[in-house]
Amino acid sequence: MSLDAFAPSKAFTLGVELELQIVNRHDYDLAPGAADLLRLTTRRKLAADVKPEITSSMIELSTGICQGHHDVIHQLLEVRDALVEDAARLNLRLCGGGTHAFQDWSHRRIFDTPRFRQVSELYGYLSKQFTVFGQHVHIGCSGPDEALWLLHAMSRFVPHVIALSASSPFVQGTDTGFQSARLNSVFAFPLSGRAPFALTWREFGVYFDKMRRTGVVESMKDFYWDIRPKPEFGTIEVRVMDTPLTVERAAAIAAYLQCVARWLLLEKPFQPVEDDYLAYTYNRFQACRFGLDGIVVDPLTAEHRPLRDLIAQTLDVIQPHAIELGAQAGLAQLHEALTAPHGSDAVWLRSAQAHEQFLPEVVRQQCLRFEGG
Amino acid sequence: MTDTLWSLIAAPWALEPDTLLGAALLALLAALLGEVVWRRLRWPRLLGYSAVGTLIALSGAGASGHEPALRLAIDGALALLLFEAGARLNLRWLVRNPWLLATSLAEAAMAAGAVWLVLRSLAVAAEVAAPLAIIAASVSPAVLQRVVGELRASGQVTERLLALAALNTLFAVLGLKLFSAGLLLSDPGTWLVALSPVLFSFCGSILLGAALGEGLALIARRFDLRNDNAMVLLLASILLALVVAKTLQLSALLVPLLAGIWLRNRSERPWVWPRHFGSAGGVLVLVLFVAVASAPRLDTLGATLGIAVALVLARAAAKALAVLLLARPSGLGLGQALCLGSALLPMSATAWVMALEFSLRHPAAGAQLMPVLLSCLALLELSAPLVVMASLRAAGEVDVQTRSGTA
Repeated sequence: MSLDAFAPSKAFTLGVELELQIVNRHDYDLAPGAADLLRLTTRRKLAADVKPEITSSMIELSTGICQGHHDVIHQLLEVRDALVEDAARLNLRLCGGGTHAFQDWSHRRIFDTPRFRQVSELYGYLSKQFTVFGQHVHIGCSGPDEALWLLHAMSRFVPHVIALSASSPFVQGTDTGFQSARLNSVFAFPLSGRAPFALTWREFGVYFDKMRRTGVVESMKDFYWDIRPKPEFGTIEVRVMDTPLTVERAAAIAAYLQCVARWLLLEKPFQPVEDDYLAYTYNRFQACRFGLDGIVVDPLTAEHRPLRDLIAQTLDVIQPHAIELGAQAGLAQLHEALTAPHGSDAVWLRSAQAHEQFLPEVVRQQCLRFEGG
Repeated sequence: MTDTLWSLIAAPWALEPDTLLGAALLALLAALLGEVVWRRLRWPRLLGYSAVGTLIALSGAGASGHEPALRLAIDGALALLLFEAGARLNLRWLVRNPWLLATSLAEAAMAAGAVWLVLRSLAVAAEVAAPLAIIAASVSPAVLQRVVGELRASGQVTERLLALAALNTLFAVLGLKLFSAGLLLSDPGTWLVALSPVLFSFCGSILLGAALGEGLALIARRFDLRNDNAMVLLLASILLALVVAKTLQLSALLVPLLAGIWLRNRSERPWVWPRHFGSAGGVLVLVLFVAVASAPRLDTLGATLGIAVALVLARAAAKALAVLLLARPSGLGLGQALCLGSALLPMSATAWVMALEFSLRHPAAGAQLMPVLLSCLALLELSAPLVVMASLRAAGEVDVQTRSGTA
């Protein structure tokens, strides 16, 4: 199978995928309830779609094609309420967050489909350790070259959305010190990280064919890049975010990415170059480790700046585009998060644990927060 | 009690189940056999304990349930297991999914009804058939707790299995109390004498259960339950409540079950503690399963086996049917419903203790009831845990690690 043709889509449309945790109501450990939940949810008519994920204690919901923030939040709220109600009938609960705070990965079961079993055989324990929960945002692009240009221009904003979504400070019962420890798990996969620097679809096709000839990959699905093109949708997919604790935050982050994309493509404030990636993994680490307090480096000017300031600055720059796209409400939430004491979900989780000293109770409060209660 | 203790000191080498030597050897054998069935077959260790009990039953030295020291261990172990069962029962779930409550009521009522009809058609006297039918409504939470715990099962079938068992045990204990009172009340000479202790026992159990639950919540709030010391506090509180229950002649089954339910439902905060309260509880549980399996009598087995088989079949069919009928509205797949229906099988310590307490108040009916019940236990003691295990595996709810290799 060679590289799919890029199916153009309407520019700046967007779609959001959220991987959610399914937990029991007894001790709030992960619970294998995906199949049960799906059986109930498929009886409903929803704008968003609900799918199984690799482990049976995870469920993925995805919106249809949305025009803007309003669409996204509307669809997410609808599907959230439906899922929460169905989960309650099964004595289960759902929550956001990039990792489950205390689950033991060796106990996770792999959801039974051929592809998931194949992945599980190939990656062994990694696939179970991959019990992490992310948010993916698709941005529609009118053509393939435009998509690749945007993909690389977006790389500077990867630390922004990592910090804004960070919600995985705890892994297997311990505080990792990271705001987003989830990305450390993703990094273990051989084909993770940044996409190769190719600005045209033809160039990218050459790279893809070479990779396919090595037998390492068969399709785009085998790449776990931070941002990857999705030719069949005609989108680029930003995959670095933790699933936030609320759908409101998830929708706001999607709106942020949509506005940044519009600003980049319409105003072309800079030209992406390979050297953008000099400090890429360093900046990414800063965002994972320190969240909004991270200090990132501009690879071209060598200037060190706090992420919080950069995000505030970007929010100002994209304001006209937010007005065009009707995204002001979403961006206002992010503006607030930059200054609020519990502005980041990771900080909220840590302070809940500091108060309770009991991770199962933290997960319960996480569920409450997700439910909007 | 003093006699038993004295025999431990005066005659250390006497080989009886209730001497130190006998008890130690039995514990050794049960623990070893439990480990063997686990390592070789991946069967729950409880089967090893029950096998040892069955051997004792075959040798004719089985427990009658009236040995004071042993009875204390049995009540203690049951209290722990019932408390755990209660603490898994989320009453809010029944509100959110009323079809589950309907399933629970239906499976308990249909099982009792089916057993009543079958026993009556086999010419069993009404005053014997009725208590047996009520007892048959219950499914042993002790066996389920143990099998689920050892297999680390989790999922919808497991959750519902534990919830249904806690509920039908509650129904059966309450039902038997009511029936017992009714039997006494129908004798016009004794009604005044009978009514007050029954009411007292009824309300007292609920109050003591709530008080215990509240006490445990306090401990759970202030201490880290993963810590051994906090565990001793919990264990001692439950045993203390048991002593109070015994002294006031309250139900030793109802108090811990209600305490668990109270703790689970007073707030939504999760509680986590080691299974059976760590190793001390584990020893009690081992003794419980050996003792229950040793209870059946060979001499009455032949005469009651036919009735027992009919009872067990009617009960199993009724429970499975109820679960299947209400599967879809309650949100269960058909395959899962089959697994859940067939797993509602174990009858064990709770049934035995209910029968013992009933016999104490109604010696005449008890004398006819006990042999039938013990034959049922003999039929189910080893088979039911295996059926539960197979059902949970078929439902895909058993931890993969407990299926192969040495975990």
